[in-house]
Amino acid sequence: MLEYFPCGRCGACRESLNAFYWKVFLVAGNIFFTDKVALVTGSSRGIGRAVALAFAEAGADVVVNHSKAEGSSKRKAEDVCREIADLGRKALAVPADIASKSSVGEMIEAVLGWRGRLDFLVLNAARAPFKPIEKLLEREIRQLVEINYMGNIFCIQKALPLLEAAGGRIVFISSLGSRFYNPAYPLGSMKAAMEAVVRDCAESLAEKGVYANGVCGGVVKTDSFKTLRQHMEELENIPDELCVSPEALADVVVFLCSPAARGIRGQTVVVDNGLSNRLYRPAWVKKSKS
Amino acid sequence: MKQNLIPEQRVMEEVKKAIAEGIDIDPARIKPESSLMKDLGAESLDFLDINYRLEQTFGIKMARRSVIDHIEELFGEESAIDSEGKLTGKAAEVLAIRYDGSGDQIRPGMDMDELPVMVTVTSIAEGVANLLDTLPGNCVNCRAQNWKLEEETRITCGSCGEPAAFTSGDDLIEDWLKQTQENKKIF
Repeated sequence: MLEYFPCGRCGACRESLNAFYWKVFLVAGNIFFTDKVALVTGSSRGIGRAVALAFAEAGADVVVNHSKAEGSSKRKAEDVCREIADLGRKALAVPADIASKSSVGEMIEAVLGWRGRLDFLVLNAARAPFKPIEKLLEREIRQLVEINYMGNIFCIQKALPLLEAAGGRIVFISSLGSRFYNPAYPLGSMKAAMEAVVRDCAESLAEKGVYANGVCGGVVKTDSFKTLRQHMEELENIPDELCVSPEALADVVVFLCSPAARGIRGQTVVVDNGLSNRLYRPAWVKKSKS
Repeated sequence: MKQNLIPEQRVMEEVKKAIAEGIDIDPARIKPESSLMKDLGAESLDFLDINYRLEQTFGIKMARRSVIDHIEELFGEESAIDSEGKLTGKAAEVLAIRYDGSGDQIRPGMDMDELPVMVTVTSIAEGVANLLDTLPGNCVNCRAQNWKLEEETRITCGSCGEPAAFTSGDDLIEDWLKQTQENKKIF
């Protein structure tokens, strides 16, 4: 259950050791997460998958949402459920099109029917075309907003009664595209909008005992990265040490849901291995020897 | 120019391999006529993964946008998909010309969600072969006419070692659409 994963670069650096200590801390203190339920949208792969597994490692049972009732996302969601079961936790795969309010309603009904509670809602699902804003077709703009903005709000609205009953937490997965320009990345504008939603919800839902925060990932090498690098070839030049792992993001999500984060409200925490600190000295420009 | 360094069979094998790894399925399930979405369970992200693998294998640049996207970019919004999300008659005509083997499946008024279902293993292999056939006569770096094959799938200059510069998938589609429009005056 508790494994030490050496760092891919050096095999024994402090970073991997610290990650291991965090897992030890979580496993030792998983009384808080045990028997609680996390719903992670879009968790059949990538960051969502890492978040689902991190909750399971922490002791929670997990609802693995995927987009299609059939196909590769269903297969991958079932694989994630098996991995969660191997960690000794319960998992339920639920297909739902986040853009559809009724579909989201059915997903929350499935959560209610399964465990009767929901403690943590992680808004991770996203889908968008990769093209400049000025080239977006009307249907693409509508889809962009429906999936990445309206869909997340449907999830919050439908899950709220359960979250309120549990004193739950909402965590939104954002990306650096919310605050920096990326070519052909209209999703960034939706991420920015959702960071504002997180801020609003942190205030409006606090009286119900529900807290909202976000995690803003840097360059994460997931399936979506494969797409992004097809449109931003410079991404290939970003050194590995400035890319962040899905697991590093997932740990922060779990932290934000833990009592240790009780003082954090409406914030979107940047988790990017320092990439955004290099704004004026682009990470992909080699340092001059002079 | 039509390249003859990489046989069609080899292209098909690499396409099947990319699909098997991209969707994570048993290669034995993959037939040339298999629809990636309907028969093999691929989803939109899987297509991107498969494309990336093929780009790495052959040193090509697959199309980032579909023929439908290109039609609307060239001939205006709703020229390919109408406000109801249905394929227009003109776009159906273009697609029937482009995919003459499966033209009977294409009909005006079909839902846009049905279109990706028509992508088969063979259609991807043909797309890759078309890109490889844009091999220039001369190396762009040293002008030599001395192409050779490296690692069984990468065409490089035998004189200077520069990788072959193929036309990109998007440019190829755009050129074809412009040519078709000039010949047929569809839009």
